[in-house]
Amino acid sequence: MDDVKKLLERQALWQKGRKSLPWPEKIRIAEGIRESILQIRGTGPGLEQDAEVLRRRRRSS
Amino acid sequence: MLAAGVISDYALFGAAAQMRYTEPVATLDADVLVAIPSGERLDVLGPIYEFCSRKGYLPEGESIRVGVWPVQFVPVFNELTVEAVERADTPHFEGVPFRVVRADHLAVIALSVGRPKDFTRILALLESGSVSREEIASLAQRHGLADAWKRFEARFLDG
Repeated sequence: MDDVKKLLERQALWQKGRKSLPWPEKIRIAEGIRESILQIRGTGPGLEQDAEVLRRRRRSS
Repeated sequence: MLAAGVISDYALFGAAAQMRYTEPVATLDADVLVAIPSGERLDVLGPIYEFCSRKGYLPEGESIRVGVWPVQFVPVFNELTVEAVERADTPHFEGVPFRVVRADHLAVIALSVGRPKDFTRILALLESGSVSREEIASLAQRHGLADAWKRFEARFLDG
């Protein structure tokens, strides 16, 4: 039980740390989350287009 | 769109705006409140869709795709959203000035919508320290949402 509590505390600390990231960085993280959601769903309009845009962005960065 | 007179003002709201203040959150689209010059058209979003299509940004369901993001344009629909756009901040997003709804208006718009994810947004904004209970109470009072705020406080904050 203590392990779980410590795990949750570490997770809360990590989440709080992400609050202080710059806004554009947080938007980029949200884009990653969005890509994961779409992949988990397996379908969705624009999924291929999304993946291609992300691939291009990664190649250019 | 502003320069072309298609809209008279705008401000990002919803999850993408929330992330200015909180940790990143999951969202599938970006929501933009728009003030539209008065006119006789029934399809108030028509000029926005036409303008975006001419620029190569195509409709996708109820949104317009801009890069990886489906962007949903929502016309201001009451005094609260009109005020939210008028009093929006203009931070820079990677060097580009961008209108974004302030934390207090984000919270009270969420209160007015009232879905579970909106309540989560209010709690996240409070937890981030970007807005106080008193500020939300005051804004909610001005927009006829005092009872909704009292119910929220009783359910989530004073329990």
